[in-house]
Amino acid sequence: MRSLLSVLVFLFIAVVQAVSSSGDRLLVILEDDAEKAGYSKFLGDLESRGFEITYETPKSESLSLFHLGERSYDHVLLLPTKSKGLGPNLTPNILLDFINANGNILLTLSSSTPAPTSIVSLLLELDIHLPPDRQGLVVDHFNYDTSSASETHDVLLLPSPGPLRPGLKDFFSPVSEDGNLLAFPHGMGQTLGQGALLSPILRAPATAYSYNPKEQSEVVDDLFAAGQQLSLVSTMQARNSARFTVVGSAEMLSDQWFDAKVKKLGEKSAVKTLNRAFAKQVSGWTFKEIGVLRVNWVEHHLNEEGMSNASNPKIYRIKNDVKYSISLSEYSWDKYIPFEVPESDALQLEFSMLSPFHRLQLTPQISSSDSTYSVAFTLPDQHGIFNFKVNYKRPFFSNIEEKHTVSVRHFAHDEWPRSFVISGAWPWMAGIGATVTGWLAFCAIWLYSAPSAAKKNQ
Amino acid sequence: MAVATTASSGPVDLLINVGKNQSTKTLLRVIILCFIAGAAIASRLFSVIRFESIIHEFDPWFNFRATKYLVANGFYDFWDWFDDRTWHPLGRVTGGTLYPGLMVTSGVIYHLLRALTVPVDIRNICVLLAPACSGLTAFATYLLTNEMTTSSSAGLLAAAFMGIAPGYISRSVAGSYDNEAIAIFLLVFTFYLWIKALKLGSVLWGALCALFYGYMVASWGGYAFITCLVPLHAFVLICMGRFSMRLYVSYTTWYALGTLASMQIPFVGFLPVRTSEHMPALGIFGFLQLVAFLEYVRSAIPSRQFQTFLYVALGGIFGLSLLGLVGLTAGGYIAPWSGRFYSLWDTGYAKIHIPIIASVSEHQPTAWPAFFFDLNMLIWLFPAGVYLCFQKLEDEHVFIIVYALFGSYFAGVMVRLMLTLTPVVCVAAAIAVSQLLDTYLVARSPEVPDTEEEASDGHAKKASKQGGLRASSQPVVGIYNVVGKGFIAGAMVLYLLIFVQHCTWVTSNAYSSPSVVLASRMPDGSQHIIDDYREAYQWLRQNTREDAKIMSWWDYGYQIGGMADRPTLVDNNTWNNTHIATVGKAMASREEVSYPIMRQHEVDYVLVVFGGLLGYSGDDINKFLWMVRIAEGIWPDEVKERDYFTPRGEYRVDSEASETMKNSLMYKMSYYNYGSLFPPGQAQDRVRGARLPEQGPVLNTLEEAYTSENWIIRIYKVKDLDNVGRDHASAASFEKGHKKKKASKKRGPRVLRVD
Repeated sequence: MRSLLSVLVFLFIAVVQAVSSSGDRLLVILEDDAEKAGYSKFLGDLESRGFEITYETPKSESLSLFHLGERSYDHVLLLPTKSKGLGPNLTPNILLDFINANGNILLTLSSSTPAPTSIVSLLLELDIHLPPDRQGLVVDHFNYDTSSASETHDVLLLPSPGPLRPGLKDFFSPVSEDGNLLAFPHGMGQTLGQGALLSPILRAPATAYSYNPKEQSEVVDDLFAAGQQLSLVSTMQARNSARFTVVGSAEMLSDQWFDAKVKKLGEKSAVKTLNRAFAKQVSGWTFKEIGVLRVNWVEHHLNEEGMSNASNPKIYRIKNDVKYSISLSEYSWDKYIPFEVPESDALQLEFSMLSPFHRLQLTPQISSSDSTYSVAFTLPDQHGIFNFKVNYKRPFFSNIEEKHTVSVRHFAHDEWPRSFVISGAWPWMAGIGATVTGWLAFCAIWLYSAPSAAKKNQ
Repeated sequence: MAVATTASSGPVDLLINVGKNQSTKTLLRVIILCFIAGAAIASRLFSVIRFESIIHEFDPWFNFRATKYLVANGFYDFWDWFDDRTWHPLGRVTGGTLYPGLMVTSGVIYHLLRALTVPVDIRNICVLLAPACSGLTAFATYLLTNEMTTSSSAGLLAAAFMGIAPGYISRSVAGSYDNEAIAIFLLVFTFYLWIKALKLGSVLWGALCALFYGYMVASWGGYAFITCLVPLHAFVLICMGRFSMRLYVSYTTWYALGTLASMQIPFVGFLPVRTSEHMPALGIFGFLQLVAFLEYVRSAIPSRQFQTFLYVALGGIFGLSLLGLVGLTAGGYIAPWSGRFYSLWDTGYAKIHIPIIASVSEHQPTAWPAFFFDLNMLIWLFPAGVYLCFQKLEDEHVFIIVYALFGSYFAGVMVRLMLTLTPVVCVAAAIAVSQLLDTYLVARSPEVPDTEEEASDGHAKKASKQGGLRASSQPVVGIYNVVGKGFIAGAMVLYLLIFVQHCTWVTSNAYSSPSVVLASRMPDGSQHIIDDYREAYQWLRQNTREDAKIMSWWDYGYQIGGMADRPTLVDNNTWNNTHIATVGKAMASREEVSYPIMRQHEVDYVLVVFGGLLGYSGDDINKFLWMVRIAEGIWPDEVKERDYFTPRGEYRVDSEASETMKNSLMYKMSYYNYGSLFPPGQAQDRVRGARLPEQGPVLNTLEEAYTSENWIIRIYKVKDLDNVGRDHASAASFEKGHKKKKASKKRGPRVLRVD
């Protein structure tokens, strides 16, 4: 009975843990509980994917991201709040500590409420910039929804974004028969710094721009940003692979826009938005349900005949033939699947000491249950302490930096070829032989001839 | 000491009578030598008694670690040892780049004692090896001196001098487990065997000499001293017209076998035929063949033709071989003289061209007081002894003269070479003292004064007539006046006693400090032990990962390897100047420059030595200019020595210090948080007597990990890259609660993001 129960508990845990690769405790911060209703579909989707959601308001006394130095939640979803700051429990330092402790944050902004100061300074640290005065509105006079924003032009309609650049896996392109438009209503755009950790998911179309609706002038002379430089949904993946996503428009995730029918300028019929599918992908990525890579094992061994080819030795010799293999998996919603490097990208191995001595493409061997990348090569003719290093960092994939240190020693005194094997040594060996024979012969003659010489002298 | 003088010519009648028997004399000598060895060992035990059985200083820690490796892994593994815990990430082919003699000796002793079921710790063998060898050195000096003089007392005196001379003790106290510990014994003994071989013209002794020469090569890089001195001796003998078959046999035997023996050491390998330092030995070997051949030819053909033949042959061969040498050197087959060698001739050479050599304190030229400090009265007896050698001038005396000449020159150039001078000083001084004592300490007056006087008078007249031969004649000496005898003998005994007292004082005060443990006196006179080094190394051993890389200046590399058992970037085996310069650059540069260097070298911790709190002057800030100079040698554009001085050319650490100095990593690490020990604005550096600026340095890329009790050792941990991609300075300011100013972002044209 007890064993059955434990098996059940184990299964339950397994099911529960299957939601995200990094835990299921989700904290949702919102202005008050009533707002929940507006996002019921989005939150319902999350719950159905297995997240345990806790709701808190920024003012709540009990709100604490850490308990005894450990994270209390695995993920945080920040919905727009009206307060200027976020209170003492959500200071930028605490939020940054949460990221450093490998927690994920999904942040939503809105043009209708100014972003809290706490959020602004956190974003500044991450090199994500919001419009001045914490307020901005993205408009586009060419790609707007004619049915809901015919005057204000502030509901943008965008095609699904596609991959950031060729050679990257496309995580954020929902497909639907009904339509292929994303609605981005009343959003605040961001600009991103140069950092490699930042990458935009959704960028504004070339004709969009951001301005401050509070400024009452007729002419917008000081643009915050425009076109492709304006990012609508941006991400930051920290070095520890903690994920941080900014969604410029919270309304995008609301029930209203999940089901809305939109009509683009010049189109005849209204189509359903893709927002629901897009929200799933963005939240799934942020909460580590997709795009998480795992190194299953790393193995290297001597690849020479007649030697003991044990796994992962600490030391090799120069010019040894070795083989290096690494097995990778990718988390996809609820399970790990074999990881396949996208087309026109490659997984590379560096064999380096201070700088790489080899940089080699790893060849994949992918089966239904496992994907192994391996390469065989000859070690350089240089002794030292080397690293087998796989450094695979791509936008939207969690970082892989596998470093395995081995020593490469010199030839031992008995590993050189013997002199009689080297043809160049034969003249010298002949010389030694001649000298020895000559000396012996001389001794023999000397000993033999000595007495007679003595007689002559007498 | 006193025993030696008493026994050699005791005033007591009984002793004289006893001493007349030959076997009693031998027994006495053995006993005296045993006493001398005992005294030599005993005087080296100060450090063990005061502190504990501990390995001293820097290099001995490596030797100790290597010995432990040898004992644990066996000889072949030691031979092929690739050490991946030093010179990270280059590693060191240790088995092929060390002189294994010392470690193998200890290993053999260890296994021998084990076989005899004496359970002894390898550390104790290492600690006590140097004193044990000093006993043997005393004996070898006795043998060498006995070859020089017929006086029986000279050898014993020389042994006693050698046993307690501070010049030798400085490198052989208990715990000073260095190559020199064993090498000086081998040096003296090889010289003894060389003299013996030369005197007898014996192949056997020559081969023995070669054998010990091989042992010497295996033990110490100073073997080159023998390699150059023996050929020089031979050359001088030939020039003096003293070529003999004895010389020919002994030299060729020694050279052929000795060179073969030396080539068996991996570190030496083909050096004996490829470097200029070894060329004199080879040249003299060839020259001897030539001279021997000419001698043979002279005995075979008439002298007129011979002279023509001689000139042509000599000139031709000399010119040819010189051309060959120059050609081979130019072609790169023979390495030209190394920098270390040049620095022996020009003491300023190293400072300009190879700062790394000049930075070692023991490579500095010797100060004059050091001679008196290390040798005391021997230094003024030394010329007298050399003079006495001129009086006799046999082949072996020529050796002492040549040795004395070169030994004293080298000792004047480099402090550490005092060590090679000490044996010849002891021998020469012993000859002088014994001559004095033999003359003045004879109780009875000379028996036949008249004849002797006449003889000496007659001799003098004869000599003046013949002219110039006086030096080679044996002067007859004898003293009649008892007062004079008593006075001189008494004075001599007094000197000897003062010598013993001086030696003991120097040994006790100057040479018995392990330098890893410092001792100081409390106000009440009690001893206070400052044990910061071991404290910090122990912290490293217990609190860091086993493969955590420690960056420090190279002085501490061996100690970190030996005591903390952690990999280091550079250590006292200064074979790679560039790597050391890299560390120097990291220490001397701004944090922004240093951090990438440390990341690239996978540094986990940085260790600095700081003496400011205690007034310990051997700290890193005082060595800092050497780091700068060595780094400047490689990166003259990035590190400039001038920038570390104030505009007026002063080296300061207070608020007047130059900006480069204040921003250097070394300065920051030394004074980080130091002000917190004092009331505001009162921080004081007690080594440099400077008041430090009120605002202490700020460290962004490092965090303080450990500071020892007296702040001598400070250890910093290198921070990882910032998790969200900021630079460390802004991350640190964010931690402190400073908000970023948006305005700063607006300056200049906006940088567009392209991807």
